[in-house]
Amino acid sequence: MENPLTLLVVLLLFGGGVYALAVLEYWSVAGQLAWGRPARLVLHLLLQEEIRPRQSDTVLYETAPVLFLAAAALAAAVLPWSADAPLLGLATGALFVNAAFAYVMVAMLMGGWAVNGVYAMLGGWRFLGQLIAYSMPLVMALTATVMRAESMLPARIVTSQLALWNIVYQPIGFGLFYLAALALAFLPPFDFPVAAGELAGGVWAEFTGTRLLLFRLGRLLLIMTLALAVTVFFLGGWQGPWLPGFAWTFLKTLLVAASFFGVGRYLPRLRYDQLLEWSWKYATPAALVNILWVGILLLL
Amino acid sequence: MTPLQLLFLGVFGLAAVWFGWRVFRTKSMVRSALSLLAAMVALGGMFLALDAEFLGVLQIMMMAGEMSIMAFFMMMYMMDPGGMSSMNMTHQQRPAAAVGIGAGVLVLALALLTPWPPAQALAPSATQQNHDLGIELMTRSMMIFETAGTSILVAMIAAVATALAYPQQPD
Repeated sequence: MENPLTLLVVLLLFGGGVYALAVLEYWSVAGQLAWGRPARLVLHLLLQEEIRPRQSDTVLYETAPVLFLAAAALAAAVLPWSADAPLLGLATGALFVNAAFAYVMVAMLMGGWAVNGVYAMLGGWRFLGQLIAYSMPLVMALTATVMRAESMLPARIVTSQLALWNIVYQPIGFGLFYLAALALAFLPPFDFPVAAGELAGGVWAEFTGTRLLLFRLGRLLLIMTLALAVTVFFLGGWQGPWLPGFAWTFLKTLLVAASFFGVGRYLPRLRYDQLLEWSWKYATPAALVNILWVGILLLL
Repeated sequence: MTPLQLLFLGVFGLAAVWFGWRVFRTKSMVRSALSLLAAMVALGGMFLALDAEFLGVLQIMMMAGEMSIMAFFMMMYMMDPGGMSSMNMTHQQRPAAAVGIGAGVLVLALALLTPWPPAQALAPSATQQNHDLGIELMTRSMMIFETAGTSILVAMIAAVATALAYPQQPD
């Protein structure tokens, strides 16, 4: 990052975006925009009594929330906000994003196992199946964008979309990536690991206080990061008229994240077995078709 | 190699050995699998310390899924997955120790006696490494990888097919 002022603005925008998502998260459940609620919730969780479940696995119990937050933050670090502003320019950026997302699953699995509770463990194992099923279309959709850019540098993937954004160039890939992103962040149609009303909170059921705060903050960060990934890989990243690059990135990211919550508000939770079936039987072959489609377009 | 790289290489190497040892010091299947995951991540860290960016990131990414799936399978098949009762995870200890020491000596001898090519002063850039790996996979190593990939696919299909319950056939 060249300019420290840009860095500061980007970090502030990212933080503000995460706060706005916290407001939207409540809206998607209750239908109200309560702007002060996330701040109050943070105070509440910081002051809440820490309750440790009996016979919990100390190492995994303490590691899970921190790993969850760290994985989401690491993925955000390699995604560029403007032409000169990736926090970390990695030649394997597109692969690194996937690696970081995989540890979201590891953290959930750890959390589910560590607390020594049935619902939590079920939630953790459910997320394993869900993430493995949906990381296939996610990775393959990403591969097609990498093919077009001929580079795994996220900044190069953005510049490869100068003529035509990937959402138009490879619409199947966009659709798959969008749905897989919802599944990865376990947002409402896919909220199986924490399934309120069915698993009584699932993986998070036994976590209280600051640990729960870390999980919830990490999930919002994850949603923001996934929306940023959709923006960078499919919506032309920082490209747009008049405004500076990072402002466009911010606007697009926020819009994508808001649409995530919109989908969650209006769609019912699906059946777990159907969800896995659709991924393996339809989404994965569609992702292969998408790779073939992009390959043909590149050769033409 | 800079002293800092050497330091990181050593730290990750020791971490890999430590977590590898932890795998066998617990009776819980999940703890054991996650210890192995930590050892594999430390190996990925060693790749990164050696400037092999692609291999490091790939190692760290693949192992997350693989070790989690392994944890799940161990949960399914072990009679005491939580390690709550006093199940003994080790058996045939004398032959196992002999084979372990023998294999260790063999690996050490191979590492020391192989005439390695001289070390490169500077690793190629990360982008160049991605390019070179791609060319390697599509030329000389193509048959090996394709054969391995197809074998794994066949094994997966066979495993699923053997797990299916077929309806009783009428006589």
